[in-house]
Amino acid sequence: MSALTLRLRECPRQRIDLSGFTSDALAGKSLADIQALPLWVGNRQMPAGDLFIIHGHDSDHIRIESESDRLDGIGSGMTRGSIRIQGHAGAYLGRGMRGGEIQVEGDASLFAGTGMTGGLLRIGGNAGDFLGAAIPGERRGLRGGRIEVRGNAGERVGDRQRRGMILIAGNAGDYCGSRMGAGTILVLGQTGANVGFAMRRGTILLTSAPELPPTFNDNGPQDLSVLTLLAKSLPSPFDQIGERGTRVQRWLGDLGHGGQGEVLAWPPLT
Amino acid sequence: MLTKLAGGRLYDPANGIDGEVRDLYIHDGRILHHPPPGETPGQTFDLDGKLVMAGAIDMHTHIGGGKVNIARAMLPEDQRAHRRNRTASTRSGGGHAAPSTLAAGYRYAEMGYTCCFEPAILPINARQSHMEMADTPMVDTGGYAMLGNDDLLLQLMSEGASQETINDYVAWTLHATQCIGIKVVNPGGINAFKFNARTLDVDEQHPHYPLKPRDIIRTLSRAVAELGVPHPLHVHASNLGVPGNRTATLATMAAAEGFPIHLTHIQFHAYGTEGDRHFSSAAAEIAEAVNRLKNVTIDVGQVMFGQTVTISGDSMHQHANHHHAHPHKWTCMDIECEAGCGVIPFRYKDKNFVNALQWAIGLELFLMVEDPWRVFLTTDHPNGAPFTSYPHLIRLLMDRSFRNDQLARIHPDAAAMSLLGSLEREYSLYEIAIMTRAAPARILGLTDRGHLGSGARADLCVYRPSDDAERIFSSPMLVFKNGEVVVEEGRITRPLQGTTQVVRPEYDRAIERRIGDWFDRHHTVRLANFGISDAEMAEGIGSPVEVHPCRPRSVT
Repeated sequence: MSALTLRLRECPRQRIDLSGFTSDALAGKSLADIQALPLWVGNRQMPAGDLFIIHGHDSDHIRIESESDRLDGIGSGMTRGSIRIQGHAGAYLGRGMRGGEIQVEGDASLFAGTGMTGGLLRIGGNAGDFLGAAIPGERRGLRGGRIEVRGNAGERVGDRQRRGMILIAGNAGDYCGSRMGAGTILVLGQTGANVGFAMRRGTILLTSAPELPPTFNDNGPQDLSVLTLLAKSLPSPFDQIGERGTRVQRWLGDLGHGGQGEVLAWPPLT
Repeated sequence: MLTKLAGGRLYDPANGIDGEVRDLYIHDGRILHHPPPGETPGQTFDLDGKLVMAGAIDMHTHIGGGKVNIARAMLPEDQRAHRRNRTASTRSGGGHAAPSTLAAGYRYAEMGYTCCFEPAILPINARQSHMEMADTPMVDTGGYAMLGNDDLLLQLMSEGASQETINDYVAWTLHATQCIGIKVVNPGGINAFKFNARTLDVDEQHPHYPLKPRDIIRTLSRAVAELGVPHPLHVHASNLGVPGNRTATLATMAAAEGFPIHLTHIQFHAYGTEGDRHFSSAAAEIAEAVNRLKNVTIDVGQVMFGQTVTISGDSMHQHANHHHAHPHKWTCMDIECEAGCGVIPFRYKDKNFVNALQWAIGLELFLMVEDPWRVFLTTDHPNGAPFTSYPHLIRLLMDRSFRNDQLARIHPDAAAMSLLGSLEREYSLYEIAIMTRAAPARILGLTDRGHLGSGARADLCVYRPSDDAERIFSSPMLVFKNGEVVVEEGRITRPLQGTTQVVRPEYDRAIERRIGDWFDRHHTVRLANFGISDAEMAEGIGSPVEVHPCRPRSVT
């Protein structure tokens, strides 16, 4: 069967809420049912078929073709199946995702992977602020699963992260890993100011010297063989950390918040 | 146009009508028992034995004012999880524990409520509170102004000011804040908290002022009675939620010295210290006192299981309970040195001994207070539970076997310590109509509401009879507001805005000089900018006032 494919007819003036378009919600629905599904566009509802050209049958594999960055909530709460986005995704991509796989070829906007507890979220381009973070009112960010970003991520990556892994091939903005409680963040590029601000526990792995808050303690260089195992478990290009060895500089913090978090940085390649 | 409601079964306790089948007419927004001569009904609703009651009145629900807004801001997840989408006639809103203004107004109307009263308006927040209530559609609103922890009153009392001076200050407060009653929260206690006191019992001296909570209750209940404000002093007693607080509650009743006094959310004030866990029900003792003291009225503040948020001006006891916050986030704050506020999200659990016993204590109080005219149906929304649980609560009161089924599900030790299983009383529809309509209207002085007499405002609702009271009251067939159908089959068909109910006792304007001096020295606003005028209520805030008469009283 061919993947259920949605092609955006024209770039909307308002944001489209696609949170109901998951394999779970569409299972067993006919193409006509799917075309008639009401979607919120700004403050009004329209049938999905008026917004998208929809074809294909296999709702376990959804393809979205869009040049707009206004498709919000793609893959919200999904537990299985796959969603592949050719183009960009809007805000709240994979929000509350529990399983399955989302792949975006372009960029994702704010709050991608927030409230996520499982599954795999791959972003080919850049991610906006609050990647895998806690949205206002929530006390936990990423709680499971994995987020991979090939480009850069915005500020507050993994804010209040509790579990799971965030891998960023490019740079991350300010306050990376702020208020983290557990889990792992790996950034292959540069990071902004205040890495690990108010973190309690958890691990932030960096390949460049971090700009830490003053409430972090330098533990000196450490030899951590666990890094070999970690590198072997990661996909390309993140597995390249294996080439950097197991000797890293380690800082503990944030001492204002228990100080059991760690920031590990490899020395610069010579 | 003349509208006829044909063949409805009327429950109108204010006029002694208990389930009689009668025709009613609505003309110019008023109820008539006979059509005006020469007029024929333009519209007839054939009700065929459906239940007809006046629009329900919630006399204690936190729907406006600073605290509610803090709760809304603190719990965005509550809004996200309970969305209410817009329809052709209604706007979007949301929230369960702390619903948005729009969601609250719509849901109240969908349950047959036409009038709601915010019980805790801090005078300095009155403008904001009225704006929020004006934004709450479908229902008429009103509020009780909070006094008793403000330094001006405590200063006046400490100086030995005459009762007349206090009366003038109380009356001025009602005028300036556009309120219908006076409330005192933990008399003197919120103020004492700022002097580092963590408790203040009824007969304990305030750490700064030479006063006891007993003095404040006596002075304010006397002021309210002498001014003729229909609603008795609305008291949130000392020692909220503290095991053994029954003595403070009984002392508070006595402190009114025979003047009318309303003890609110009394479930939270009816605790003993018996048993292994030093927490027990004192409902029997409290109910006995209420039955004996005819100057006392109560509302229950029933606890229902589930997630809610507790919001109270009682910063002293909210601070003491903050470690129970669920989800774990909370705030306690001072508001312009006038009083305090504490917002603590909370989840009541039926398998938790204390919560289960709180639930049972509330029901014991409902069932053991004999006179339904003196006990009101509230959950102290949202402190005990959101108001949306009222239909479930009514079923618990009306259906003993359902109640006992629920009792079997709570923490067994709590069930064993409660009298609830032995209480056989079942409320009748007539008694429910008393406690949700007739009695609140009477105690608030709303003469044209809460009943179906000729000339009454045509706020009424029609329910489908059922064996399941929860079904009856969760979705009325029709709700009329001011004579217009606003809800059909539990859905809003015609949105409208309500009015604000106020009282205006007379007073000597000389008090304004003293208040003005106080404002100049201590307040962030000038006196001239403080009071809310009728024009501002009507045009700026958008909720015109309706003035209800005062009737000066003395000791009963």
